[in-house]
This record gives sequence, C-alpha cells and structure tokens, in this order.
Amino acid sequence: MRADSRSARIQVLVAEQAARRGAPVGVVDVCTAAVAALPVGGAGVSAMSRTAASHPLCSTDTISEQLEELQLTLGEGPCVDAFTHGAAVLSSDLLTGGLQDRWPVFADAALEAGARAVFALPLQIGAISPGVLDLYADVPTVLDAEQLADALAFADLATLLLLDARIDGTGAQAGAPPRDHGLEDLGGYRAEIDQATGILTVQLGVGIDEAFVRLRAHAYTQGRRLADVAADVVAHRLRFLPDSEPKRTDNGN
Amino acid sequence: MNQQLLAKTFVELADNLVADFDLIDFLRLLTDRCVSMLDASAAGLLLADGDGKLRVMAASDEEVRLLELFQLQNDEGPCLECFSTGAPVIVPDLTREADRWPRFVTAAHRSGFGAVQALPMRLRAETVGALNLFRAAPGPFDAPDTLIAQALADVATISLLQQRSTQRSTALNEQLQTALNSRVLIEQAKGKLAERQSIDMERAFTALRGYARAHNRRLSDVARAFIDDSEPLPGLVT
Repeated sequence: MRADSRSARIQVLVAEQAARRGAPVGVVDVCTAAVAALPVGGAGVSAMSRTAASHPLCSTDTISEQLEELQLTLGEGPCVDAFTHGAAVLSSDLLTGGLQDRWPVFADAALEAGARAVFALPLQIGAISPGVLDLYADVPTVLDAEQLADALAFADLATLLLLDARIDGTGAQAGAPPRDHGLEDLGGYRAEIDQATGILTVQLGVGIDEAFVRLRAHAYTQGRRLADVAADVVAHRLRFLPDSEPKRTDNGN
Repeated sequence: MNQQLLAKTFVELADNLVADFDLIDFLRLLTDRCVSMLDASAAGLLLADGDGKLRVMAASDEEVRLLELFQLQNDEGPCLECFSTGAPVIVPDLTREADRWPRFVTAAHRSGFGAVQALPMRLRAETVGALNLFRAAPGPFDAPDTLIAQALADVATISLLQQRSTQRSTALNEQLQTALNSRVLIEQAKGKLAERQSIDMERAFTALRGYARAHNRRLSDVARAFIDDSEPLPGLVT
C-alpha cells in the first residue's frame, strides 16, 4: 500500500481515535474519525443482512442513534436503500428533492430528530455486504468529491473491521496476533482475493461473508499476505477443508 | 480496417447501452470487439479505485495470467503511465522497453505479447482508467486503428456515465466505486462456479454470462443470486 494513499491516511485517522479511547480499533472509531474529518454532526453503523434481523452497532450521538433505530424499525430510509441497491445514497437536504415522498415516515422523523442531510454508504465487497455507514448533518450539506472519497474510504475500513470482529469465532487459532493486523490489504486489491473467496464458499460449504473471514484469518495466523494466500487457493496449491486445517497440495499448476 | 465491421460494431455497442444494461457484460463485449477489429491479441479495461490503483473491469479473456499482466501495471507499465499522464502510450516493440519496465516486459513476453498500447479513459479533466491492447507481433500500430481504439475507450467511459444516470447517483467517484464493486461480485461468482464445476475462470465467466443472456437477466443479478444460493439457476449449476 502506498503510504500516501487515501486508505492509509484514513486508517491513521481511525487508529488515532482508537488510541485516544485506549482500545483496539473498532467500527466505533471509524464513526468518530469520520465525524472529525467530514462536515457531519454524527455517524452510526448498522449491521444488516438479507436473511437475518438487522441491528444498530454503534453511533456517535443520540441523533445518529435515533436515525439508525428509525430506519431499521421503519424499514425505510437511506440506509435501507443503500443496502438494497448496493450504492451510496446521498441526501443533501431531507426537505427537498421529493425525499419526503421517497421515505414518507422516515424523512419527517429524521427532521424531527434534528437531521437535515443524511448520507448512507453501503459496507460491501462484492456480494459481501455486512451493513451500512450512516452520516448526518443538521444543516443542508453537500459532500465535495474529496469528502465523498474520504467517506467511501471510511466505509471500506468499517467493512473490514466489521468482518474482522467475526474472526475470533470462526476457526482462527488462539494466540492469533492482535487486531489491526489485516488492514494493510485495504490497498492491495487483487482479483485473486475475490476469486479465492468464491472458491472457499464451495470448499468450506459456507456463505461468502464467512469465506472471506476464513481466508483472512488463515493469512493472519500464518503471517502471510492475503494476496499470496489467495493466489495459492486459485492455483490449487492450497485447499481449505471444513473440519481441519487448510492443506497444501502439490497439484498446482 | 473493414468499414462495415466498424459500423456494425458501433451499432452493436449502442444497441447494448439500453436502460438497465449490465456494465461488466457491456465492457466484456467492448474488449472482445477491440480484439476482433483492431488486430489485437488481447484487450483489457482498467479503472482507478479511490486510492488511484488500477483495477481490471473487463478483459477479452479471463485467464489468470492475463489478469496478472494488467494488475502488474500498478507498479510499472504502459497503463500506469497512460493513467498518470492522461496521454496514449504506444509501444510497437516491447523488447526495446526492458529497461523502462523490466518486470512488465518479462511478464508480457512470457504471455506471448510483443507490442502494447494504452489509451486513456478521459472524463472532462480527469483520467478515470485506461484501455490496454496487446498484440503478439511487434511492429508499428496503424494510426487509424489507434483512433478507433481511443473511440472505443471513450465509449467505455460513456458507459460508466450511462450506468451513473440510470442509478440516479450524482457523484462520479461514488459511481466508479459501485462499478468496481460489480467487478468484485463477478470475481467472487467466477471463483465459486469454477470450483464447483472444476472449470477454469474464463469458462466460469462465459457460463455466468451465457446464463444471464439466455434468461434475459443482468449478469450481476445472476452472479449475486448464484453466490447467495437464492435461486436454483438450472443449467448453470449441474
């Protein structure tokens, strides 16, 4: 990852929030860092799923908390749309643009709560979509290109942190290195990582989210780069097994 | 250049830019046409992500080694140069560039390529990606062909904007991110299908795309349904 990259800079901002809190980096630090960096008053993250109940995970203030709960209770709002369509929903002013028609109950309730602009950014890596990052401002607000790019980078980091939080429970080894380890692969995108994730859904018989978590957990515990582990999986040099450790094979090409 | 083929291709591309078209499916068609029209052996389209890293959106062949050759250009190569300068990079003889791009030239040679060009995908003042064309034999590129290649790169850029307007998004970088994510979805589906059917990545891609076309569905919708196991998809999965 280039040290001057956007994702690297965002990662530092989030790590600073965690250090201030004296805790390992978590999704809540993405929220506080986003509020500090962007022209918004609050931020919140909800865990969302197509098959299970959605629930709020964290928020920086009571307005954010209300916005998360409102949307999940009502089943409408920018965060619901962002999750459904897999694309950001940027509402710079809830009083305009027919938004009160689009979300008849939510728009009024959100205004009542004190929000005027709401931005919902889906947390996603292809078909993996564990939730949504919501930002709000109490005045009409347009994010410029740089701010929006930063907001998207905050959402990317929140995605990995949310998935990382599941690693402990999914076959990663005890004594795994502490958190914050895996974020280096934010900037190391390789198509093989996505292909390997798809391959693991078959080898392990699990859903796409868990396949990705298991792939990353293996890379951490072995102290290897995610892209290298993924390349081994794609080339059939490494095979994951449902009930035991991944096995190296020699039938690679 | 065969004028009839050229006209037919642009009509075909325009025909495919219908409402609710699938971006990845469309860009694959475009790279395929680059190969058939432009005396190219392989073609790829790369788009920059939020970190300015180039990512493959479509390629005329999904084989792993070709994708590698595109990805490698995040470190060095004509695409990186084209993207950072916003100008075409034309290399008639790759063997002469071994000092400039040692790793890229070695990898391109190993894949059997002797010449390469990279053309910018430009949007107003911004360069958002590049079209990369490889040819097996070294030698000069026809100037008219390069103009057509640039026109095809421009069509690729237009398709991104078209996608943008159909999705009601107002922000370009958000729309690029959505486009990149649709490619991630395809890679995940390719991996799952390749593993399940014991086929290679190119066959997995063409099977997904063939299923989508036969059932008049968007490729990304089929890919998601396949990953989520939310539909039986008879004929795709045996």
